[in-house]
Amino acid sequence: MKKLKLIAMMVTVAVSVFAFAGCGSKSVVNSQDSSKKETVTLKLWGAVPPEYGPQEVVDNFNKEFKDKGIQIEYTRFVNDEQGNLKLDTGLLAGGDLDLYMSYGMDTLSKRASGKMAMDLTSFIKKDKFDMAKNFGDVIKNYNIDGKTYAVPETLTNSGILINKNMFDAAGIKVPTSWTYDEFRAIAKKLTKGEGQDKTYGMFFNTAQQANYAASFIGSALGGDPYYKEGGKESNFDNNAFEKNLQLTSDMMNVDKSAVSHIDTVTQKLTIEGLFLSGKTAMSLGVWSTRSIKDTTKYPHTFMTAYAPFPTVDKQPAKYTVGGLGDYLSINPKSKYTQQAWDFIKWYSEKGSLPMAKYGRVPSSKNVDKAAVLKASTEGAEKLLDTKSFNNIMVKSYTNYGISTITNKSAEISKVFNEECESVLTKQKTTRQAMQSAKERADTLLKQ
Amino acid sequence: MKISKQLRTDITGYLFIGPNIIVFLLFTIIPIIFSLVISFSNWDYTQGFSNINFNKGMNYINMWKDEWFTKSLINTIVYSVSLVPITIFIALIISVLVDKYVIGKAPVKLALFMPYISNIVAISIVWVVMYSPYGPITQLFKSMGIKNPPQWLGDPHWSLLAIIIMSIWAGIGYAVLIYTSAIQSLPQELYEAAQLDGASGFQQFTKITIPLLSPTTFFLITTTLIGSFQVFGQIYIMTKGGPGTSTHVLVYYIYTSAFTFFKMGYAASMSWILFIILFVVTLVQWKFQDKWVNY
Repeated sequence: MKKLKLIAMMVTVAVSVFAFAGCGSKSVVNSQDSSKKETVTLKLWGAVPPEYGPQEVVDNFNKEFKDKGIQIEYTRFVNDEQGNLKLDTGLLAGGDLDLYMSYGMDTLSKRASGKMAMDLTSFIKKDKFDMAKNFGDVIKNYNIDGKTYAVPETLTNSGILINKNMFDAAGIKVPTSWTYDEFRAIAKKLTKGEGQDKTYGMFFNTAQQANYAASFIGSALGGDPYYKEGGKESNFDNNAFEKNLQLTSDMMNVDKSAVSHIDTVTQKLTIEGLFLSGKTAMSLGVWSTRSIKDTTKYPHTFMTAYAPFPTVDKQPAKYTVGGLGDYLSINPKSKYTQQAWDFIKWYSEKGSLPMAKYGRVPSSKNVDKAAVLKASTEGAEKLLDTKSFNNIMVKSYTNYGISTITNKSAEISKVFNEECESVLTKQKTTRQAMQSAKERADTLLKQ
Repeated sequence: MKISKQLRTDITGYLFIGPNIIVFLLFTIIPIIFSLVISFSNWDYTQGFSNINFNKGMNYINMWKDEWFTKSLINTIVYSVSLVPITIFIALIISVLVDKYVIGKAPVKLALFMPYISNIVAISIVWVVMYSPYGPITQLFKSMGIKNPPQWLGDPHWSLLAIIIMSIWAGIGYAVLIYTSAIQSLPQELYEAAQLDGASGFQQFTKITIPLLSPTTFFLITTTLIGSFQVFGQIYIMTKGGPGTSTHVLVYYIYTSAFTFFKMGYAASMSWILFIILFVVTLVQWKFQDKWVNY
């Protein structure tokens, strides 16, 4: 009996010891791996599903670098709160993750200040990697406190998706510049039918974020529309906000030419569900190119054209909404930072073309624009209007409005979202909502 | 050295519960203490541990000036105060009816219990469809001749009610299950005696069933109230606190503060306020139970 007790005791102790020794033994194995100097496998995290480009990129790289001893493994995370939390946890936990993409300057600067992104300056200097030559002068705006924490790999442009067949049928040309009034009149003209068979003029996709209702402010206010005085004060008293919100709310609630916010939210409507099924003539969401080309998932036959955001008056837009995106960074805790940098360099210089097939236009100047256009529209000649696609999506501009202020940005976005929502659901007038947004945001900034 | 027999037995005992205690410490006690500590600080967890700045309890003072917090607290109270009595009242009625008049009780009880064991995400998505302008609920209102039926989740005046209705439906099976089991164990003699004395069915219900079920009712009120203060899943899936702040509840705001605003310390302090509220409410209930609960 005593013996049995003793054995049971020993087993219990052993179990509890081994349960917590798990982490330790793993790292021993890892260090053995690196000392043998075998092939290094890097882990790359990105938010684009592998079949929409990343897998091809990784395959190309792995083929080219097989002899040089570097291989890449791609993991997809969903670019939402939970996905980013997963990535952050991975980065904080250690070096099991070598390369990753950030989407948005606020997330990147958060990661940079939290020591989750490596300062790439020394690599850039050592290899004489000319950032300005590779990405244009605009690149210097993506440094944080003068340091380069990431290489932006994609050109993100913005505009409006247009169902060209509907435009043709109504005898309207795809616009290359237009005012709020022209935009509103076209949407009204293209609205037809009632109830579930209604075809709308415009879809603002406000279920995802209510502030899509004020998407056009960027062309007047630049990359930090919410701030003035360098981020010390909020900018909601600028009448650009009121004008844009008024336009959207009038189209939704007066003309009924745009899908109302209530319908969008209560039915959880999406760009794919509405635009690609031909229920709206125009929509936000130029980022949906990969869905447009995917006719198995979203069967449709019409041609999609692209138009720029409308402007308040005839004056040309002060800023182009967009810029460089998909910020590729190295985890400072990675054991293979040099190899990770080799990947970034390869990807930035020539590797990113496969991404163009699914609508992510490479930012690198080394990638030929004609090749990008060809890759983007290939196999979709009947689905994408090449000329307007080139104009809106592929061309790079010099007047991008770039976000540099991140002071309480999450809180202020939430305030703005709520106030937009109160306008769209007719709780407040645009003026009341923007006054309240201004007050609330200023209180937050003073804290 | 000689170890006494008593000590040896003690050690054996502790070793047996050791693994359990270690896990409990690691995943429950330490996080609780840690959350209390950081609730007195500003801490952005993405900036590492070195960035914990203590702020002399300012979190506990500032939160009462925070509109999001006060609105969330009010919404949570409205939600709980309406959800708990309605759930318990309906569950009691259903249980008595099921017990008295339904032949083949098991399928009925199972049907009522299904929502409770179903995944809240799945339920929420189904109810989004139910509430949508082309969904069955709105269509029912229209067929009854109401021209402009409420927009439920899209209308700030109706959205919280919509969530409450859905949550009652989702949670009622549990209360029914507990009540029906309790009803079955009620002493039949009392009913027989009452019948002989000429008590009507309703009198039997109010004078016998309700008092005898009071311990069950007390248990259900306590647990349902605690559960309802922690409502999160349906809010996160169905409305994200909107439209505006109309369905913004406490746990959803704690989540937002921690993972959208990265204010871990502030989120922890609100969790402690939630704990204090629940603790006090439960204590009060406990204190007053002898006024109405018959064991």
